[in-house]
Amino acid sequence: MAPKSTDKKRKASIQEELSDDELNDLDFDGALSQSEDEFDAVSTDEEDEEEDGDDDASEAEEEDDEALLSDDIPSDEEEVDAAIQKLLKEKIEPGTEPNDKDGDLTAEDARGQNDDDDRPNYRVETDANGNERYVYPEIDAVYDSDDSDKAPENTIGDIPLTFYDQYPHIGYDINGKKIMRPASGDALDALLDSIEVPQGWTGLTDPATGKPLQLSRDELEILKRVQMNEIPVDGYDPYPDTVEWFTSFEEKMPLSAAPEPKRRFLPSKHEQKRVMKLVRAIREGRILPYKPPEEREKEEEEKDEVHFDIWQDEQPRDPHVMHIPAPKLPPPSYDMSYNPPAEYLPTQEEREAWQNLDPEEREKEYVPQKYDSLRKVPGYDMFVKERFERCLDLYLAPRIRKNRLNIDPNSLLPKLPRPEELKPFPTVCQTTFRGHDGRVRSLSIDPSGLWLASGGDDGTVRVWELLTGRQIWSVRLASDEAVNCVRWRPTKGTAILSAAAGEDIFLMIPPVLDPVAEQENRAILDVGFGYATSGQQAPLNVGQTPPAKWARPGTKLEDEGVLIRITVRSTVKVISWHRRGDHFATTSPSGQRSAVAIHTLSKHLTQIPFRKLSGLAQTAHFHPSRPLFFVATQRMIRCYDLQKLELIKVIQPGARWISSFDIHAGGDNLIVGSYDRRLLWHDLDLSTRPYKTMRFHEQAIRAVKYHKGGLPLFVDASDDGSLQVFHGKVVTDLMENPTIVPVKVLKGHKVVSNLGVLDVDWHPKEPWVVSAGADGTCRLWM
Amino acid sequence: MPQIKKKGQAGAAKNYITRTQAVKKLQISLPDFRKLCIWKGIYPREPRNKKKVSKSATASTTFYYTKDIQYLLHEPLLQKFRDQKVLEKKISKALGRGDVSDAARFERNASNPEKTGKPKYTLDHVIRERYPTFIDAVRDLDDCLSMLFLFANLPSTSTVPAKMIARCERLTLEFQHYLILSHSLRKSFLSIKGIYYQANIQGEDVLWLVPYKFNQRVVGDVDFRIMGTFVEFYMTLLGFINYRLYTSIGLKYPPKFDQTKDDQAGELGAFTLEGLNPVAQDDSTKLLTNSRAEHGPDPKVQDAVNKLVQQLKEGETNGDEEAAPAADGEEEEEQATDGIDKFEPAAPGGDILPQPSYSTNDPAQLFSKCTIFLSRETPRQSLEFILRAFGCKRIGWDAVLGEGAFTTNELDPSITHQIVDRPPIQAVVNEDGDGEDNQTSQKLAPNQRVPGRIYVQPQWVWDSVNEEEMQRPDLYAPGAQLPPHLSPFVQMKQGQYDPTVPLEEQETEAEALDADLADGEEGADVKEITDGAEGMDVAESEEDEDENEEDDEDEVDEDEEDVEEGSDAEESAALQRQIELEAELAGKSVKAKDQDPKTKAKLEARKALQKRAKEEAEDLERAKGMLSKKKRKLFEQMQYTNNKKSEEDKKLRAKRRKLEKEAAKGKAQ
Repeated sequence: MAPKSTDKKRKASIQEELSDDELNDLDFDGALSQSEDEFDAVSTDEEDEEEDGDDDASEAEEEDDEALLSDDIPSDEEEVDAAIQKLLKEKIEPGTEPNDKDGDLTAEDARGQNDDDDRPNYRVETDANGNERYVYPEIDAVYDSDDSDKAPENTIGDIPLTFYDQYPHIGYDINGKKIMRPASGDALDALLDSIEVPQGWTGLTDPATGKPLQLSRDELEILKRVQMNEIPVDGYDPYPDTVEWFTSFEEKMPLSAAPEPKRRFLPSKHEQKRVMKLVRAIREGRILPYKPPEEREKEEEEKDEVHFDIWQDEQPRDPHVMHIPAPKLPPPSYDMSYNPPAEYLPTQEEREAWQNLDPEEREKEYVPQKYDSLRKVPGYDMFVKERFERCLDLYLAPRIRKNRLNIDPNSLLPKLPRPEELKPFPTVCQTTFRGHDGRVRSLSIDPSGLWLASGGDDGTVRVWELLTGRQIWSVRLASDEAVNCVRWRPTKGTAILSAAAGEDIFLMIPPVLDPVAEQENRAILDVGFGYATSGQQAPLNVGQTPPAKWARPGTKLEDEGVLIRITVRSTVKVISWHRRGDHFATTSPSGQRSAVAIHTLSKHLTQIPFRKLSGLAQTAHFHPSRPLFFVATQRMIRCYDLQKLELIKVIQPGARWISSFDIHAGGDNLIVGSYDRRLLWHDLDLSTRPYKTMRFHEQAIRAVKYHKGGLPLFVDASDDGSLQVFHGKVVTDLMENPTIVPVKVLKGHKVVSNLGVLDVDWHPKEPWVVSAGADGTCRLWM
Repeated sequence: MPQIKKKGQAGAAKNYITRTQAVKKLQISLPDFRKLCIWKGIYPREPRNKKKVSKSATASTTFYYTKDIQYLLHEPLLQKFRDQKVLEKKISKALGRGDVSDAARFERNASNPEKTGKPKYTLDHVIRERYPTFIDAVRDLDDCLSMLFLFANLPSTSTVPAKMIARCERLTLEFQHYLILSHSLRKSFLSIKGIYYQANIQGEDVLWLVPYKFNQRVVGDVDFRIMGTFVEFYMTLLGFINYRLYTSIGLKYPPKFDQTKDDQAGELGAFTLEGLNPVAQDDSTKLLTNSRAEHGPDPKVQDAVNKLVQQLKEGETNGDEEAAPAADGEEEEEQATDGIDKFEPAAPGGDILPQPSYSTNDPAQLFSKCTIFLSRETPRQSLEFILRAFGCKRIGWDAVLGEGAFTTNELDPSITHQIVDRPPIQAVVNEDGDGEDNQTSQKLAPNQRVPGRIYVQPQWVWDSVNEEEMQRPDLYAPGAQLPPHLSPFVQMKQGQYDPTVPLEEQETEAEALDADLADGEEGADVKEITDGAEGMDVAESEEDEDENEEDDEDEVDEDEEDVEEGSDAEESAALQRQIELEAELAGKSVKAKDQDPKTKAKLEARKALQKRAKEEAEDLERAKGMLSKKKRKLFEQMQYTNNKKSEEDKKLRAKRRKLEKEAAKGKAQ
């Protein structure tokens, strides 16, 4: 602190000095002002000291310091001084420097004169290049704040002072002026100093000022305390007693002397509100005078419920659309009476059955009971339980609005024409043909309608007189194979029968005609042999087996009337004749590529029309009038054009497994029977999908047949042992739908090992139908 | 491209909410939710497709409408529930801290309906919401009454506080008072479950069931909390309904209740009805109670006197009003328009409309002329109620049955009818003198009858009420075999079995024929053979017939008519032969020949009937075949229910036939 205080002192003195300068010698040399200042300052300091006397010890120390410093480098000082003088003189041009000073002065003057006239505040000079130069007077900030009287701060920063050892100054002040090294005292002083160590002498030099560092007693004390690790401030008590600024003791005098506010003297509105609330509550009876709790409770209990007319201003409101009122419990019926009519009482068995049932499964929750007088009626033990269940129903049971159809069930039934109107159709079994051993697999009525041919599991083909049921002819075609199919050649006047047993197809002429006609028939069959031998058949490639072999069956069979045997590659199931009687198609489902074969009778020729078939062929038929050929696989029926040899149509009945189908004589309609119990009516013009699906059978449908003689009838045969006769009228008008009416169920065949009726056929003209049963009989229905 | 719809953002998924979700949304406990649902009448719904509705993988079972639950969100009761929950939490916390006094204070604040029988909340607004009009409330009264009558008869337990029972009892009795005063009770039925009553309140039929006065057995798991919730609601509802009903007939509600009378089993008599204005008060009080003042003079004498006075008064008024005959005429006209007119068809050909029957005897006055005494074994409460409701003013009963009787003296000469339900004791019939000596003057010896009085069993009252006229008392005499008691609520449908109609009128043709045949055969057998084995024979012959029929059916296909007739002939011949054989065995002459043509005709008729039925069945089969699958299913369902019903009826008819036959046989013997 000491150096600072000295600085302050010095500054003050400088200022004084400056003012002196301004006042007294206005035209002294500005260039030397600094150094002169310094000197003056020192001198004035000393003067001041002298003036102050002895009261300020520090100043004395300062003096000593100076003396000491001067003592240190006296010669240097002088030299330096001299050098500075010289330098300054060299540097500052005699012209400019004084001018500068003049400027200063003029500025000072200008400030004084500004009030008088409008003189420009600059001077015009010529610079080194000879140009005009405006020189403005230096602005004097006229600091009169504290820092102005501070001793000039050394601004050299963190540089060792030794760098300045050779110079007269020790650094620069804030204005860039040199801070001159304080002058050292003269030798005498130094001597004196050496003799007497002044108070506060440390022997150190203040690096900032370059003066001897003097420390006062207090400062020394502080240093000592710091050294001793004590708190440097004297008299500081680190543990003072707490002063209770805010205490529980009421002070005599208030802390604040502010006068009481006005609001403290006005009635509170808020309070008034609260009070009014209470008053209102009391008036309305919400707040009651205190009563002991027991009394209060008793009173509360006694208080009755308030009743009022809740429907005083009732307004009918339609119930919500989605609201479903709870259904009411049904009213009691007669049997709930305590004394019901005797017929309502359950018999012993009924009562036992009721008791044995699980309570949840019982239709009624009570048993009707009779008591002969009212006093004997006991309490109903399920009363609470039933009420509880009703409660549960009311809030737990989901409610749905169920529309109960309140109509006569008979109104649902379609109006069908009476069967009498649809007559004729077969109704009763007229003849039973017995004779086959085992199942009758197939049957057929000859084109004249007189004879019935049948073939069965026993390997025989039999011909019967249709009306009488008399067997007239029989031949055993195979001993171990069943006759799968029997078909007459459809031309009139001939009686050629085709039958399939195993892989062989036999063509035979039963002795039903007169010998002349029979001879003609033989000729028809035999003409092919000539054709074959004449070699007009297409030559076969080497190694390729022919699709079929046409041959004589052997003398034994020939004697019986069987004339031709055609052996194909696999078991033939279905034979279907072309209407002209020259071609017939056979189908053998297991025959892979050769499943379907078309045979030409007149040429003894067998062709396999399809190179490949998708699916197992089930059956095949010729179109009754056009050169079309229908092949049924398991799911589809494909229609091929025989002339163009292309696929025309694929009919999709939607059945899983087609068993048989038949084409209407008109050629536009088709019925399909399937093993999945469906009978499907197709209209070929309309769609490939069925027009009507009928599912009346409980078992698979084996065979379907249209009546070919102009009657609108068709029939199907099923494994459930029944035939169903339908009236199916096909109209030529395209706009009119065919009417299909079931007319009759013919039952008679017995079901043997899950097989019922295996085949049906219509009489060519009459509404008669024959059926072949698994029970070994054929039946004629008329 | 339209915006892709997210699953569960619209439609059914939004419309329905599961129960768990609903409870979460309302932030209440499940029991509180249940209460709320019960009171607000919110019930689960069955969505068309449960899978579409449930958002979770597991199948939820209960769905509510989201709108319903939203509607619950604004319910003031919800706040009450929450408050209650908070209070409970406070109590449990206080107890946890050990602050017993705090807990007790909270406890006092809590509503404890078990103790007081009254909760802190009221359900008034709920009732107003659920039933916007009075009629709506009356429509929903069935369950309410059944429930309250049950609770009025329950013993008090911890779950069913005594207060609640007392209130139920009061409410039901008040309601009964209204029915008595307004004469709106219509029908009643004694069932094995209890007594059904039907009243007509402002055009709405209300049917409820009252248990017999026995201690109710509680079997199975019955949650009385749920029932209590219902009862709480129903009590409020019936309170308001009673208020409305009472005020509608000019009475003050609640009526004065006499606790002491009630304690002495006064039941209906414990109430004193008051009119809204003091003038009406006298009438009403007189109307109801068996006031002692009425007891004094004989009612018949009183009636006669009253009539005389009335005539006199009328004469006076007539004299006064002769001056203004026009006014009189108007009155008459008005009176004339009051009743229902009979519409007679003026010209033939019009449709006949159903018309309300204008009964001459007012059901409300059915028992008005009777003084009835109830023996101590009869159910007093129900009898008193029903008799009063049908106009009986003077009902006396044994002092054992409680307070409030017109007379407790069985020998009171004014009694016209006495209802007894005890069996006549044949063993000891004391001499009159002995009886007098032994008994006090009031008591009668067993089987002793007061002359000039009609003794009937209780069923007489019910049957009279349902028939709206007094039944013949001799049918209901003590110890007599009572006629069956039939439910008056059954709505007869065409073709349904009706026990009141003779059997011949409702049996089908086939049944009648069968029965006749059986009768005929039996008759013949009875005539011819007196052996014990005849019944067996009959049965055998019937079986034979059945078999033959089956055979017929099999063969019918071959050749229907010829064969059938042939078999018919064969059969009858065989039958005849057998009868002859039996007769020979029994050593009697054959008398069946004269009956032969009759039975033959009947047999033929039956055959024809069977044939027709078969043809019809065939037709039906054909037609059914042409139906689509859906329609066929529907048709079969309908057929199923119809057949089931007709089967039941058939069984009833068969039973009745059998019973009648037995009865006839019993008579014959």
